[in-house]
Amino acid sequence: MADKKKIAVTVKDLHITYRGLKKTSIRASWKNFGNKIELFHALKGVSFEIEEGKILGIIGTNGAGKSTMLRAIAGIFSPDKGKIDLHGNTISLLSIGVGFNKKLTGRENIFLSGMLLGFSEDDIRKKEKDIIEFADIGDFIDKPVKTYSSGMYSKLAFAITAILETDIMLIDEVLSVGDAKFKEKSYNKMKELISDEHRTVIIVSHSLDTIEELCDEVLWLNEGEVVKIGKPKDILPEYREFMKD
Amino acid sequence: MRKFFYNIRKYFKYAIYSAKAELKSEVADSYLNWLWWVIEPICFMLIYYFVFGVIFPNNEKYFASFVFIGLSAWEFFNRMINGSVKLIINNRDLVTKVYIPKYILLLSKSFTYLFKLGISLLIAFALMLYQGVPFTWHFLLFIPILIILYLLSFGIGLLLMHFGVSFNDLANLTEIGLRMVFYVSGVFYNITSRLGNRHVGPIKIGGFLLKANPVAFCMDSLRRVMLYAKLPDFKFLLIWLVISILLCAWGVHVIHKNENSYAKVI
Repeated sequence: MADKKKIAVTVKDLHITYRGLKKTSIRASWKNFGNKIELFHALKGVSFEIEEGKILGIIGTNGAGKSTMLRAIAGIFSPDKGKIDLHGNTISLLSIGVGFNKKLTGRENIFLSGMLLGFSEDDIRKKEKDIIEFADIGDFIDKPVKTYSSGMYSKLAFAITAILETDIMLIDEVLSVGDAKFKEKSYNKMKELISDEHRTVIIVSHSLDTIEELCDEVLWLNEGEVVKIGKPKDILPEYREFMKD
Repeated sequence: MRKFFYNIRKYFKYAIYSAKAELKSEVADSYLNWLWWVIEPICFMLIYYFVFGVIFPNNEKYFASFVFIGLSAWEFFNRMINGSVKLIINNRDLVTKVYIPKYILLLSKSFTYLFKLGISLLIAFALMLYQGVPFTWHFLLFIPILIILYLLSFGIGLLLMHFGVSFNDLANLTEIGLRMVFYVSGVFYNITSRLGNRHVGPIKIGGFLLKANPVAFCMDSLRRVMLYAKLPDFKFLLIWLVISILLCAWGVHVIHKNENSYAKVI
């Protein structure tokens, strides 16, 4: 069945280096004049492919390059070398509260954030009710976001990205927002979103249980390189061993 | 360039919405609310009027309107330049989390400034009516002049926005630069009548300041058409229009080339 499916994301020999536009001031650049700029290689030649509808988990220690990779796939970074091909799919990075203006009401922020993600005003208006319903923060939806508790803030933010769907979703450690009840709900919603057979999902998480339950495939990154890629049941035991050392 | 216009179309609504949101949030907590948009420019005008009309008197015709028009144009330019230097850094959250063409940020900002300019101009009209300035068809020429001022500040803004990302000191430098431009632009004095006949070496300072400094030039042209029913210098208007468009094109090019690296730096 695997070979019948379309490829949704192709990452080929991806290199990402932090440098170039380095922060500088007159004094600093004077001192460093002629010196080589320090380079930090966050990703060193990562290649993989994901089929449409699959769920890929990315694991690795802190600083392994997981978030960098997600952001590169989302188009926030440009690769220094290599290629990322989304095959024409729409993509969004599920992150908390992008573009929120804290002085405005939750409702206004739904539009602000949604339009930023590339949806039209009409699209959002159609889904506004679902979002508010899902966020479940009651009357607070018409109060300024700065009055929200951090839980409510995350709930609203999660609801926006979860209801406004894209073909490919990138999830960076946001499966645990809000209280226990909302956590359960968002987890289920996540599963529902993920189980859509046309939706491709990439999850970065430190919770191996989550990865084990949700993902079809796991990519293990270490210091910017792929250690292994494969089925969770093959990779996770080995990773657990590795983390013990 | 095609990409630029495509992006502008695609994100235009976002830019407007976000500009509205910003304006709303700006006054959300104050008691007088949106009235500040009216009070603020009037107060500044009164200050300059007091200092340069009463303490250092002059015989400029319609001096209050004169100051106010200059001030409106200056404030717009000043805001655009000041706002653009740190624009990327101030929008750190956004830039590191989602892709958006970076000039959309400046576009959105510029809408809030345009809105404030609009209010200023309305007050200017009211003031002109009060002072009995005769309205003539010349008046309508303020539109093309403002377009040039907008393009000019947008172009410079794009470049500053780009260099401001990697060059921390730029904010300090623009601060100094703007202060200088403020004083040589004739916001509160008439360059021609004050400096018209003074020479430094072979250069006539008045003429030089007026023509080499686009802000002064736009300000002077605005006053000519709005207050004194005179024509602006079309040749120089055209020259500055071309320069402004070139600056914008250069800025857009630089941003396209570098925008995906910004997230790595900040």
